[in-house]
Amino acid sequence: MEEEEFFGEQTFQHYCKEFIKHSQQIGDGWEWRTSKDHSDGYMCKTHFQIKNGTVVSHLGASAHGQTCLPMEEAFELPLDDSEVTEAAAATEVIKYEYHVLYSCSYQVPVLYFRASFLDGRPLSLKDIWEGVGECYKTRLQQGPWDTITQQEHPILGQPFFVLHPCRTTELMSPVVKNSRKINRNINYITSWLSIVGPVVGLPLPLSYARASSQDE
Amino acid sequence: MTDDKDVLRDVWFGRIPTCFTLYQDEITEREAEPYYLLLPRVSYLTLVTDKVKKHFQKVMRQEDISEIWFEYEGTPLKWHYPIGLLFDLLASSSALPWNITVHFKGFPEKDLLHCPSKDAIEAHFMSCVKEADALKHKSQVINEMQKKDHKQLWMGLHNDRFDQFWAINRKLMEYPAEENGFRYIPFRIYQTTTERPFIQKLFRPVATDGQLHTLGDLLKEVCPSAVVPEDEEKQNQVLIHGIEPMLETPLQWLSEHLSYPDNFLHISIIPQPTD
Repeated sequence: MEEEEFFGEQTFQHYCKEFIKHSQQIGDGWEWRTSKDHSDGYMCKTHFQIKNGTVVSHLGASAHGQTCLPMEEAFELPLDDSEVTEAAAATEVIKYEYHVLYSCSYQVPVLYFRASFLDGRPLSLKDIWEGVGECYKTRLQQGPWDTITQQEHPILGQPFFVLHPCRTTELMSPVVKNSRKINRNINYITSWLSIVGPVVGLPLPLSYARASSQDE
Repeated sequence: MTDDKDVLRDVWFGRIPTCFTLYQDEITEREAEPYYLLLPRVSYLTLVTDKVKKHFQKVMRQEDISEIWFEYEGTPLKWHYPIGLLFDLLASSSALPWNITVHFKGFPEKDLLHCPSKDAIEAHFMSCVKEADALKHKSQVINEMQKKDHKQLWMGLHNDRFDQFWAINRKLMEYPAEENGFRYIPFRIYQTTTERPFIQKLFRPVATDGQLHTLGDLLKEVCPSAVVPEDEEKQNQVLIHGIEPMLETPLQWLSEHLSYPDNFLHISIIPQPTD
């Protein structure tokens, strides 16, 4: 297959591999998964979040708006027996999965995501928003992207939510143009994910940007 | 000699005789009779089964009814796949009518997309049309159209109006005079034997030497396991709209004449039936 466009599938895979290298350095949890027939693959990350009734337990407002609670930390909270039972009853653990795939039709990356309780019950889009926070919802309404829809994951064949890719080129063109103008290499995946990720509750630590500018 | 345009009509008006039976564990107030219907190959299950829903809901109580879903021999049917594709892929080796089981409970969240309204079907359909044009024309033709043209494509499909649909769709089938075809061909290849739901890759209709690529060329490139050398026994059937086109058929011609209304060639590869 030909790779004449700026962003072909080989380029996509290269940027993902670089992104994952940095993720491994900071323990951010991204990994590459190859499809069963080995013809392609995708980048994915899973994180868990504790839900306290209908209120998400924030870890305070940190610099990059972290809203998820690493599992180990959650269970180190000092609780006596009665509090543990109450807490366990009131809380639910939600598993969030984020997949970054390549769309050959639009020649851009696409973000797929889904959330479910540990027993497999999936969350509706409305439930997911409750866990994400108002500030992100505003970003979704303001951005140059179409709404989020439920679609079939092209490699796994299961229902996921997707931020539609048809306007990604439009979204990314100022970033790409600028990087060419100032002659600085960017990791397209890092830039793109830093814009679209937060919209779906996936913040990106700042160190990714520093790592990108250190490449080459 | 049949005109190529006749092929367009034959594809559009293809029908599958189907028998809908209510799942035995659904709770009914009286016995539910099966419901027979001719399903349009080019449409979508949730778009054409209002009568089926009404028929079964007549014998059920409101509290026992949740989102409707369909199943064939234990496999939940994806409403977002065209009906003809589902049939070719899952049931074409079996005798007619196509026996589909209807459910009103236990929606399989992990397997099926929800279909909350007709708007959801329209959104999905238009999304496919746009993606096809991204491949054929870098989205130029679809983006040049007005909203009312997009609406006309959908209404044509929704109301089974061939002329209304093709008045607009013909523009999506054009290409510049200096080219010999589309930029890339919108296609998806489906097999039940793989975990992957379908194969979709970039593939040009014309080779660098100007020769038109054929269906056989496509299969050799993206799905080599489906094509065997001439002297060996054929393992698979390659179906589009229930027929096996000759592998020598130019892909550009197939794309113009045998695409579904979403402008994609949905190709099923099934094991050769043993009868």
